[in-house]
Amino acid sequence: MSAVAEPPAASPARAPAPRERGLRLGPVLLTLPAALTLLLFLIAPLAAFAVYSFLTGSLYEVSGPLTLENYREIAQSELNRKLARNSLIVGLLAAVSSVVIALPIAYWLRYTTSRTKTLVLFLIVASFLASYLVRIYAWRTILGAEGVINSGLGALGIVDEPLTFLVFNRFAVTLALVHIYLPYVILVIYAGLGPLQPAYLEAAQDLGAGWVQRWRRVVLPAVAAPVGSALLFVFVLSAADYVTPQFLGGTASVMIGVQVQVAFQGTGDYAGGAAISFALLAGFLVCYGLVALGLRLARLDRLRFAS
Amino acid sequence: MSPGRFTGLVTVAGMLFLWLPLLVVVLFSLHTTASLSFPFDGFSLRWYERISESPEVRAAARNSLVVATSTALVTLVLATLAAYGMSRSRSRWRAPLSLLFFLPITLPGLFIGIALLIAFSRLEYSLSLVTVTVAHLVYVFPFFFLLARAALERLDPALEEAAADLGATGWTIFRRVTLPQVWPVLVGAACLAFALSFDEFIITFFVVGPDPTLPLFIWSSLRRTIDPSINAISTLLLAFTVLLFVVTFALTSWGERRRRGTVDPLVLTGAQEPR
Repeated sequence: MSAVAEPPAASPARAPAPRERGLRLGPVLLTLPAALTLLLFLIAPLAAFAVYSFLTGSLYEVSGPLTLENYREIAQSELNRKLARNSLIVGLLAAVSSVVIALPIAYWLRYTTSRTKTLVLFLIVASFLASYLVRIYAWRTILGAEGVINSGLGALGIVDEPLTFLVFNRFAVTLALVHIYLPYVILVIYAGLGPLQPAYLEAAQDLGAGWVQRWRRVVLPAVAAPVGSALLFVFVLSAADYVTPQFLGGTASVMIGVQVQVAFQGTGDYAGGAAISFALLAGFLVCYGLVALGLRLARLDRLRFAS
Repeated sequence: MSPGRFTGLVTVAGMLFLWLPLLVVVLFSLHTTASLSFPFDGFSLRWYERISESPEVRAAARNSLVVATSTALVTLVLATLAAYGMSRSRSRWRAPLSLLFFLPITLPGLFIGIALLIAFSRLEYSLSLVTVTVAHLVYVFPFFFLLARAALERLDPALEEAAADLGATGWTIFRRVTLPQVWPVLVGAACLAFALSFDEFIITFFVVGPDPTLPLFIWSSLRRTIDPSINAISTLLLAFTVLLFVVTFALTSWGERRRRGTVDPLVLTGAQEPR
């Protein structure tokens, strides 16, 4: 922070730019309380969490010396591998489905001239803020054996026996996660379409491009970067979710986040839980790198539009 | 170039998908019987009466109010200072600070919750509403920060420069020139912080002490018996959040419209990454 403390100007002719003169202390100092708060309550705790993964754990305790034993153990555990696979599948399904559903909606939002646009935007953002637990509860009451779908179909005489494939499986978990993250994905892609003026699409059309070509050659390159970040966002939050699988998943679709939560609040295997967490985080970083690399290789990371 | 019929249909279907499940929750909160399935036997307010009489619900709602209010107020101060500092600085610390301030959005709540649980247990600090507030502070900070920084960066620098030329010092400039231009956005962002905190479950679950917040109460009810009183609490929660969002949206768009004539609602969700 050497550049921030400027001496007061001696004469008006040598005065620094007005903005600097107004804030002689250096504006970056104003970020100090927030930065310290986050260092103290986010970075330091995360560091302690990371250290736990290299310690030897006993019940609700950890002790030295540093070891890689926890990582070796979780890598060899058949159960963890299965849970990680479930997380991977649900995360991918949720991420891809949200993006596939969000693309046409974001496109409509960007290019519509309809007056309902504001209403739709409002509905999207308002639902984004709707409680996470309430959504999970909603799907539980809709999909359950005694739920809205089954009782509705039963009352209409369409089914005699309740449909049991609706809940306590991967499908129900994925459905709820898409419901939770879809609003966010729509907004991110909509923002990405912002610079793509309608004129570009008209030009493509005038040059004879059909809708497939327009999407493939104009729309998708424009939204590649936001789609990449939305995919990552939904994937990471879904794969690490520990609540949705507990309420909507079955015994065969338990996810890795549940294992971490149980380690810290049930079995007391802090070291093992920490190792799983940081293995998971490493996996997320790899995904992040892959998406960034993919965008760079496709030369879509620095796309610019003339306005 | 208007979008085709297909995208319009998907949009309608998407809105139904987003809202029908929530409306089902609202519908059954008004059910006469304890059943959560069809046939629907008629409307009553008995579940609302029941929760309004429940001491546990009242206590949980009070706890959530205390936590969300403290979170919003502390975030208001910390994140406004940080956003102002960042938007008026050309320091080389900007890039790492940006990363730090944005980090909580990118981390799954599971990590934040457990990291804080470990930290508090190492410090032998017992879990309470204070620890919940600290956790929420970390969680809502980036949302407020992004919103406030975007508003501050859009201000016309000429006004602050004019004030400086007239001899005003840093604090005076902020109070007399900057604040009158951005306060609606800041209040709106504080409402958003309040709403996010009020609803938070994933992180709270790890750092909550003996006093449950409202989402914690819902969670424990879900594990016991499910009846329409959960729907009633959920409906009130939903109504409250939507109301807060309306206030946020109205204030931020009013604040922005005074500046520029347009508003970007996207920043409300942190959808735009910092540059």
